[in-house]
Amino acid sequence: MPEGMIGQSPVRVDGRAKVTGTAHYASDMAVPNPAWAFLVTSAIARGRVTEINEAEARQVSGVLDILTHRNMRGEVQDAGFFAGGGYTSTTMRPLEDDRVHHDGEIVAMVLAETYEQAREGAYRLHVHYAEENPAAGFDAEGAELVSAKDASKGSFEDPAVGDADAALATAAVTVEADYATPTQHHNPIELFTTTASWENGRLTILEGSQYVHGLRNGIAAQLGMDPSLVRVESPFIGGAFGSRGSLTQRTALVAVAARRLRRPVKLVATRDQGFTIATYRAETRQHVKLGADKDGKLVALVHEGVEVTSRPDPYKVAGTQTTCRMYACPNIRTKVSILHADRNTPGFMRSPPEVPYMFALESAMDELAVKLGMDPIELRRVNDTMHEPIKGLPYTSRSLMQCFDRGAEAFGWKQRNPEPRSMRDGDWLVGVGCASTIYPTHLGAATARVTLTPNGHARVQTAAHDIGTGTYTVVAQAAAEGLGLPLEKVVVEMGDSELPPAPVSGGSNVTASVCTVVMQACEQIRARLAAAAQDGPLKGRDPATLRLVDGTLRAPDGTAEPIADAMGRASNGAIEISAENIPKGLPPDSLKKLYQGRQALGAGLEGKEVAMAAFGAEFVEVRVHSRTAEVRVPRLLGAFAAGRIVNPRTARSQLMGGLIWGMGGALLEATEIDQRRARYVNDNIAEYLIAVNADVPKVDVLFVEEEDRQVNPLGIKGLGELGNVGTNAAIANAVFHATGKRVRELPIRIESLL
Amino acid sequence: MTSQPDEGGLGRRGLLGVGAAAPFLAPRQAAAQPAPPSLPLKERPDMTLTLHINGKAHPLTLDPRVTLLDALREHLALTGAKKGCDQGQCGACTVLLDGHRVLSCLTLAAMAEGKEVTTIEGLAGADGALHPMQQAFLDHDAFQCGYCTPGQIMSAIGCVQEGHAEKPEQIREYMSGNLCRCAAYPNIVEAIQAAKPQMGRA
Ligand code: FES
Ligand code: FES
Repeated sequence: MPEGMIGQSPVRVDGRAKVTGTAHYASDMAVPNPAWAFLVTSAIARGRVTEINEAEARQVSGVLDILTHRNMRGEVQDAGFFAGGGYTSTTMRPLEDDRVHHDGEIVAMVLAETYEQAREGAYRLHVHYAEENPAAGFDAEGAELVSAKDASKGSFEDPAVGDADAALATAAVTVEADYATPTQHHNPIELFTTTASWENGRLTILEGSQYVHGLRNGIAAQLGMDPSLVRVESPFIGGAFGSRGSLTQRTALVAVAARRLRRPVKLVATRDQGFTIATYRAETRQHVKLGADKDGKLVALVHEGVEVTSRPDPYKVAGTQTTCRMYACPNIRTKVSILHADRNTPGFMRSPPEVPYMFALESAMDELAVKLGMDPIELRRVNDTMHEPIKGLPYTSRSLMQCFDRGAEAFGWKQRNPEPRSMRDGDWLVGVGCASTIYPTHLGAATARVTLTPNGHARVQTAAHDIGTGTYTVVAQAAAEGLGLPLEKVVVEMGDSELPPAPVSGGSNVTASVCTVVMQACEQIRARLAAAAQDGPLKGRDPATLRLVDGTLRAPDGTAEPIADAMGRASNGAIEISAENIPKGLPPDSLKKLYQGRQALGAGLEGKEVAMAAFGAEFVEVRVHSRTAEVRVPRLLGAFAAGRIVNPRTARSQLMGGLIWGMGGALLEATEIDQRRARYVNDNIAEYLIAVNADVPKVDVLFVEEEDRQVNPLGIKGLGELGNVGTNAAIANAVFHATGKRVRELPIRIESLL
Repeated sequence: MTSQPDEGGLGRRGLLGVGAAAPFLAPRQAAAQPAPPSLPLKERPDMTLTLHINGKAHPLTLDPRVTLLDALREHLALTGAKKGCDQGQCGACTVLLDGHRVLSCLTLAAMAEGKEVTTIEGLAGADGALHPMQQAFLDHDAFQCGYCTPGQIMSAIGCVQEGHAEKPEQIREYMSGNLCRCAAYPNIVEAIQAAKPQMGRA
């Protein structure tokens, strides 16, 4: 039933390719006779490369060339920091000079006939350093603290309202605590790979990317080329989570290598190199103060955070922007600072601002509930609001309490005994906890081309990406609905910079941004067919009332004409429509920025007239062993309201994956840093703990219906990052309930509970 | 953590107790200590071998260091098996060797000679009909990005054939060598439970 295809749950249109091994990820795509690249990365975090002895490496049979700063200086131009309107994940230029800025920085690339030879050549390249004392991060000598406001040169203001300190001084109940979150790495299972080839001055890059237009324009700027001479292909992406959103150093090096060798070059970086040649979620330290009256109504909120970044780049996530808008509160003060250390530059990682900052706020809310002797859900209820408190903008919709009520019911929240350490099952202490979750509804300008053929097949072309999110499927659903066709008659092409640009697959914007523009193209096709229908069986019907349904053009009175006939009237062949859309509330230059491949998402919580976000409530049960302090999570449940759900099957998978991410973040994940040498210690996925199947017995996802036509015409709020926001605090709150011990530093491990 | 360079042929791998072809650690030389003495450069004549994959014989001439995973991906254009770590940590490279699941990144191509290799490409019938496990993964949305999926499916088939898919807890345990960063785990367990009765016991 094609009408109403939005909201149905077809299996993924790319699913068959994925289960048969025929989905081609970047390193699966064949190029003729590639040379292989292998990276050599720095063994120190700060200092200089003093000597590179290439003799032995060059004797390895098959070694073709070695790139170092000695032959690369000046080859790669500055393309601007992505967070400042440019393209690159860092302003550090690859192999630009002898400086070492962080552990694992690329210091050489060895090129050889085969992978094995390149690897051996890399082992036999001897790099010598003059090491200086590095600052690893917090508490390190030489790290430099700057307020985010100063670092932003005026573009960032810490949100505030009222007089929080005065209100705290007279509040009936207060809580005040420090929270800390660790370094985390995305670790998508697909490694960071790049293949480059040149033909007649044109460059083709095969690389898993969340933004092929950004990559294309960025690499063109780095190499001083016209972007039209660059093509980036990324049809399938083996997980991204933010790690493939901006242009990292390796891409330009592979491109230059391919130009020098006059043949394609292929790089598959190793897992441990992935920890230092791309981005990560930086560790934070936060301080929260809450003041409330005796009924739990908030009178004051203070939220301060410090985040680690690299020496040159003022990267920040500033989740105070979200936490200050979570609850009604007349007096709010926030402050974000960044700490420059000898580290690689951090970047987006799934729900970048919300994950660390909502951990602190939602833990503090639980502490406040305990102090008030109040049910934590009721505390959220008395502080619920339909207006964000900073500027007083209305939420277009906010179903937070509906989510709590649905979730509490399904979870059996009422059965809990609120007393900590009161619930037991044999040797296991049992605890339950909950927390709010939120993710702002970001939108971006987008373009798409839709072609309807005379035999009633449609082709949708847009340079969006499916990073596991189900984008191929939901875009096909939108076109099927818009053109009244069965899903099998729609083909979607994405992940190629030759296609009309679509925004970065980040900020959970793509389903809304891209489905909207695809629907607009479909509407233009409908209008053309309807206008031409006057000399057929639909003569005399108002064209505005004709709709595309079930493969026909149909009038409200039921008279219908097969699409093929209607097509014959409107066109001699296929009808091809290109549409461009700037979502309401976004600046007019959004489209220009999109064509330039810059980051230009808007809306969310920082709009001018309204605030837009998806909300949810997350519940967990934990079991803590009374003797070993092992923590297990037998149940995770989330109830979510995210506007219209385009495909409940893929949406559920996203949210389920998010809940599990949150669980892993709370209990398992942390990149350990050698504080003396500022090097990552557990840079592999055996020691960097990712949740495994045995960690996840039961996950429930509930959808709370929400109709919101203000966010965008289709009523879609993104949800790819909604699932993993509240989970950290929900688990910490449940651990408190089980054990009576409040853990304010993640991850919560056995040693936190001894 | 990587520190000392490993010279590709000998070195620490025995000490680390990892399989024969690992670990291919990246070279990040320790800074404070003098560089370790290099092993002498060695000529490594290519070897010829024949691999039997999905019922077909493939004669090959390979550097002896080539893993089964790289032989499949880079020399035979069978890119279904994926490289997620090259260190035996993720399971994305899982294939069946004489019906048993192995990590092809920890298996040298030479070690697969004389054995029957089954990869994801060898599961569907000639008519394109999916193996019950593939169909179940599709129906249960047991993946998102799909990168771990060929490994999960091969491992799931191995898991059922070993008799380790009797209960959900057992499936979770015996599938924990296959990481899924998208965290499709509950759906993977459902898919395996659904496929099991449709698979003839090997
Ligand atoms: S690639 Fe073989 S286990 Fe990860
Ligand atoms: S589906 Fe993405 S890693 Fe498993």
